[in-house]
Amino acid sequence: MRRVCLVSYDISDPRRWRQVYRTMRGFGEHLQLSVFSCDLTPAQRVTMIAALEEAIDRDDDQVLLIDLGPSQAQPIQQIEALGRPLSVRDRSPVVL
Amino acid sequence: MLNEFAYCPRLGYLEWVQGEFADNDDTVEGRYHHRNVDRTQQRARPRGEGNDNEVPKIHERSVWLGAESLGLSTKIDLLEGEGRRVTPVDYKRGKRPHVPQGAYEPELVQLCAQGLLLRDHGYECDEGVLFFVGSRERVRVVFDDELVARTVQLAAGMRAVAAAGPIPPPLVDSPKCPRCSLVGICLPDELRYLTVGEGAAAPPRPLVPARDDALPLHVQHPGARIRKDGEVLQIVDDDKVIGEARLAETSQVVLFGAVHVTTPVVQELCQRGIPVCYLSSGGWFYGITHGMSHKNVELRRRQYAVAGDPARCLALARRFVQAKIANCRTLLRRNHPSPAEDLLSDLKGDIRRAGQADRLDVLLGVEGTAARRHFSAFAEMLHPDESEAATFDLESRNRRPPRDPVNALLSLAYAMLTREWTVVLFSVGFDPYLGFYHQPRYGRPALALDLMEEYRPLIADSLVLTVVNNGELRSEHFARAPGAVSLTAAGRRKFIEAYERRMSQEVTHPVFGYRISYRRVLEVQARLLARHLSDEISEYPSFTTR
Ligand code: SF4
Repeated sequence: MRRVCLVSYDISDPRRWRQVYRTMRGFGEHLQLSVFSCDLTPAQRVTMIAALEEAIDRDDDQVLLIDLGPSQAQPIQQIEALGRPLSVRDRSPVVL
Repeated sequence: MLNEFAYCPRLGYLEWVQGEFADNDDTVEGRYHHRNVDRTQQRARPRGEGNDNEVPKIHERSVWLGAESLGLSTKIDLLEGEGRRVTPVDYKRGKRPHVPQGAYEPELVQLCAQGLLLRDHGYECDEGVLFFVGSRERVRVVFDDELVARTVQLAAGMRAVAAAGPIPPPLVDSPKCPRCSLVGICLPDELRYLTVGEGAAAPPRPLVPARDDALPLHVQHPGARIRKDGEVLQIVDDDKVIGEARLAETSQVVLFGAVHVTTPVVQELCQRGIPVCYLSSGGWFYGITHGMSHKNVELRRRQYAVAGDPARCLALARRFVQAKIANCRTLLRRNHPSPAEDLLSDLKGDIRRAGQADRLDVLLGVEGTAARRHFSAFAEMLHPDESEAATFDLESRNRRPPRDPVNALLSLAYAMLTREWTVVLFSVGFDPYLGFYHQPRYGRPALALDLMEEYRPLIADSLVLTVVNNGELRSEHFARAPGAVSLTAAGRRKFIEAYERRMSQEVTHPVFGYRISYRRVLEVQARLLARHLSDEISEYPSFTTR
């Protein structure tokens, strides 16, 4: 089952930061500078971790995965935002 | 390959004979851990022959081995040893399981098969090692007589099954199924439920995901271009990004009219198994691009065989038509303010006559009559706003080109459903062009037309009623030319969105009782047809709502 996962990262090299950012855009929504919210199947989560491990430097960088729980419970709504409101769009077909 | 067969003979058959494969977290993670091992690929060769002073050390990764005598081939993750004495090492995800043998049977058997292959190639090999990546533990596995016997027996069993068929039956209520990557293809509980008869088996566990992991991308913005940016598809118009879709969450790409895609994008989509559909700007379905075809040759053979058998074609055609009329009748009952009693009973009679039709042309006649009855009452199910009443005035069903807004909507809805079914049939491994009821005609996906019959009222007709009756589409969404009416770009976009909402909607499956989205309903339906064609289930179960 899908779960929502908050991914935040601290990358010491701008080139690698850019790489991680580009990778993460394929898996979730960009919430803040280095924070994404991802709604993932277990298989997608494994793929994402593999891609991240490829991109980072194990000694200098750090990525945190914070599991927020099953997607059905819409855990993202539990997050309180001060200032600008937090908006995460629902997964839905894209029609342009 | 032996470990799949040891896990479940049906799984081995599905993967190795029918070429089915689906990812889940186990398979993805397995591949990922193997990648480190896979960097170098070599063939095993006994070494050190003719040179007695030096005993060479062996440390080779990803060694491919095959042996005719065993009828097996395998890839050994890591081969360690000295001289002619070697130990295969197999990498496993996760932690070592706490069972007396140190690992589960499928893993032991797989490893032992590697040992036997090595022996066949002239090595001495009495034991192997399972390396559990999660806990970084090495588990020694001795190839004793018992394990060797079991491995040889399984290898023989697998060869026999693969050579002769039929497909092994699904496991019964097994805890292995929920963890099996092919559960949505195998449909173990559903098959059992259909073969032993309702009531005799417990209703299927909801093992098929109710929702979709990936969703379609439609682009109908004239002149738009699609490009790839990392893991994301970007849709640009005049260098301005007007939208994005993540590749990992895209199931198909639907292009209306003059939308451009680059070759790298098409290649990426083909590689990921995401089909690209090309439609005219009005929604007429022109063609489809997809990656190398599904490997399930066995299924297509069955499809051709059944299509060549007039009796079986007629039996299937009767089911399609009966279900379609039944669903039309339900639509009327639900949406008509006061459905005429004789109309409902006439339709009931049509269902009966369709069931008795002894020739395809008779069946066509019954279907035509029922369609006229249904359509005659269609106008009465439409209740647009007072001010819009004139827009949605409806006299007759007319197609090419549609002459009024309701007909324009119906035509577009049917075209979308045809495209949807064509994509589903390709992905399941069918040839969409050869049907049982509809006859092959140039460029016509006859099997898609067959299967969509019962879904016309459920998805297309009801969608048209919804968008008109909710006021989602109004007169400003239509462009009128003499003798023809079409949707404006904005109107079409609204209608496609409404269609996709309908496809995402979860319904209770009339046969299996679990909740599932319409998108997945279609896939399950196509797989049930495949099981019917291969004689695993005797009767094709139609999808009729109450
Ligand atoms: S779902 Fe169950 S029966 Fe079907 S292949 Fe997998 S393990 Fe075997």
